[in-house]
Amino acid sequence: MSRIGVFVCHCGENISRTVDVEQVAAAAGNIPGVAFSCDYKYMCSDPGQNLLKKAIAEHNLTGVVVAACSPRMHEKTFRKAAGAAGLNPYVCEMANIREHCSWVHENREMATAKASDIVHLMVERVKKGKSLAPITVPVTKKALVIGGGIAGIQAALDIADAGHQVLVVEREPSIGGHMAQLSETFPTLDCSQCIMTPKMVDVANHPNITLYSYSEIEKVEGYIGNFQVTVRKKARSVDESKCTGCGVCIAKCPKKKIPNEFDQGHGMRSAIYVPFPQAVPNTPVIDRENCTMFQSGKCGVCAKVCGPGAVDYQQEDTLTVESIGAIVVATGFKLYSIDRKPEGSMIQGYGEFGYGTIPDIVDGMTFERLASASGPTGGKILRPSDGKEPKQIVFIQCVGSRAREKGISYCSKICCMYTAKHTMLYHHKVHDGQAYVFFMDARTPGKGYDEFWRRAVEEEEAVYIRGMVSRMYQKGDKIIVMGSDTLVGVQVEIEADMVVLATAVQPQEGADLLAQKLGISYDKYNFYSEAHAKLKPVECATAGIYLAGACQGPKDIPDTVSQASAAAAKVMTLFAKDQLERDPVVAKVNEKYCVGCFACKKVCPYGAIEEKEIKDRQGNVVKVIAYVNPGVCGGCGTCQATCPSKTVELDGYTDEQIMAMIETL
Amino acid sequence: MKNKMMRLSNETMNIGFVKKVESLSGSSVRRCFQCGKCSAGCPMSAFMEHPPNRIVRLLQLGQWERVLAGRSIWYCASCETCTTRCPNKVDLASIMDALRKLSWDADGPSKESYVQLANRLFIENIRTYGRQYELRLGAAFNMKSGQFLKDLMLGPKLLSKGKLKMFHSKNRNIAQIEGIFKRIEEMRKKGEAL
Repeated sequence: MSRIGVFVCHCGENISRTVDVEQVAAAAGNIPGVAFSCDYKYMCSDPGQNLLKKAIAEHNLTGVVVAACSPRMHEKTFRKAAGAAGLNPYVCEMANIREHCSWVHENREMATAKASDIVHLMVERVKKGKSLAPITVPVTKKALVIGGGIAGIQAALDIADAGHQVLVVEREPSIGGHMAQLSETFPTLDCSQCIMTPKMVDVANHPNITLYSYSEIEKVEGYIGNFQVTVRKKARSVDESKCTGCGVCIAKCPKKKIPNEFDQGHGMRSAIYVPFPQAVPNTPVIDRENCTMFQSGKCGVCAKVCGPGAVDYQQEDTLTVESIGAIVVATGFKLYSIDRKPEGSMIQGYGEFGYGTIPDIVDGMTFERLASASGPTGGKILRPSDGKEPKQIVFIQCVGSRAREKGISYCSKICCMYTAKHTMLYHHKVHDGQAYVFFMDARTPGKGYDEFWRRAVEEEEAVYIRGMVSRMYQKGDKIIVMGSDTLVGVQVEIEADMVVLATAVQPQEGADLLAQKLGISYDKYNFYSEAHAKLKPVECATAGIYLAGACQGPKDIPDTVSQASAAAAKVMTLFAKDQLERDPVVAKVNEKYCVGCFACKKVCPYGAIEEKEIKDRQGNVVKVIAYVNPGVCGGCGTCQATCPSKTVELDGYTDEQIMAMIETL
Repeated sequence: MKNKMMRLSNETMNIGFVKKVESLSGSSVRRCFQCGKCSAGCPMSAFMEHPPNRIVRLLQLGQWERVLAGRSIWYCASCETCTTRCPNKVDLASIMDALRKLSWDADGPSKESYVQLANRLFIENIRTYGRQYELRLGAAFNMKSGQFLKDLMLGPKLLSKGKLKMFHSKNRNIAQIEGIFKRIEEMRKKGEAL
């Protein structure tokens, strides 16, 4: 016979205002199997918990129901208290009479009746409940960082410094990401590469870090602490172990007129190339689509001039499988393009700005490269069309961002600051030039940020115009910018030499495909979703996968570095234990009755169902049945609802328990 | 003029004029971030075609003609509410002073406004009589502005109540007053005064 204890909480006045808690406690006392019931003002307080512990000992209780708030709030608290009093924590359940009752009802009588019903349900559930033990899973203490931008670099260095092995996988031939492309950084105007390249070199030299550049994630299997990740190392056509990085091949390559992606297509590179001089690793890669050798089979200059014989035209993609304990996703962002978009795309182009056909209308990243000392113009600000120095330059903020009709309703967060920075860089380099900025709002919430943009306005003579640009068109060698100044209330027209668009920040190309491989969720823009917007900002809903940087939402460098370090800390917390403990609320298969139809496998959102062979004594396979991997199971119960033979059951929510609950009503 | 399109370029933005305003007023124009608190508290704002914040905004864009063409700067009562309340230390009252001064020197282009004319006649009156001789001021204003019958019917009423004197009474120390005017003129020539 069960001996259940029922503890009804007032929650100050939160519950007692609408529910007659004394009556609920008294009614609970009359339920068969309830040995003790009481009410108390704050059950979660220390005296409240002591009351629970004392009652368990005095009345020799076999189960506990705490009628209070949501289990999300205090289930852990009460299970711990019950555990401390010698009870199995999993026979302690909460009846939610606050969120599900007192907060949503006004009629006291009916609310009291409903609260009694909720308590009764839970009592029946606890009666049929079983003692459970937490599940332990081993942890592989090796982390995978996807993306080698500043987020990935920071996370990798932090985890590696803590003494754990880290695998960094970067899609491009070099790590560094967008930060390596930047000219200067706000709000201090220090050179981006000067602070970035030492960190890149640290990654390359760290004994705990293995760098897979020019590689992509092929497949991810497994679960927290035990992932199996397949990495595709794309054919570089240069043997990394032999190459000394001397650069002779690059100098001798006859094909030199290929637009350099690193310079946003404004500089030129050869077919065998490193993206930029400080690249890590400093090993060239052959761009097979543009290489004469690969296209016509006639050339081979690079192989001839290479001293160590590192050039290998026969090299093929290789697949490597790695055992990984935790994954940090740091895939970063790309910039919105104003080009005409294919039909059906959520993101629209900008016809009023010429769909990207006017050569002197460039985006912010291109301006960074033009202003950068290592850029295609050697740091001189020259416009792309004719290489002239622009004397009238117009910057437009919120291009794509905050434009629902164009497909994006969010604020890209970094554009106000980098545009202010651009006006300063321009003013420092073109003394007789004038910079204009069209803006809707100046959003500069950050340490030293507002001061920075005020400096652009007050000291660096940028003319900020509050209003948007409705249209731009080419007239001779000028771009006519038609906008408005909403503060004065008149139309504004500027004959500009060059226009820089602060285009929206979007998730990196293929972010959705990677998310599908990882089994993590993403929003309609393909930004990865955190588990909780406020309290779990770096965790994914999928255990063991963490987020860092702009792949989760637009972020500047300080925020990205903070989040990367936070993600690294989460990984270290995970790696601090040899065994991982988790709630035993997982599904189990009754092997006797399972017929192996695998209907459960089709519906499982976690991929937790595996196939298990049942053999007889001779070792012959008798039948193949479903097996739930407890490390992966999320405890959602979908399999239980689907199983036609009722052989899958979720611990804590068995059919027997659920039926008993229904029967009380 | 008010709603005419602005063409912005180095030529159309008179930054020299803005620098003059800044040096005369001792207040930065660029510092203003257009919160509008000056206009919110201005008792004359309702009568101005450009409220105080827009005057500063036009200055930021070097639009001197738009600023001087209107009545706003002459309607300013110099109560200094704007200066007192500005969160950004923009001394708008001094800027208004500077603008009135520059408008005076430029002799317009505030032609559409008679405020400047009234101010000019007022000062001339003081210089001639050492104090205000309202009847002459009113007559001179009506003549010069071409509004001969303006407020004519108010005359007898004011005269009968003794608010308007038929004959002027000259200040005894008129020579000293003339001295003050001369001294200021000389200081202005040397650039020591506004």
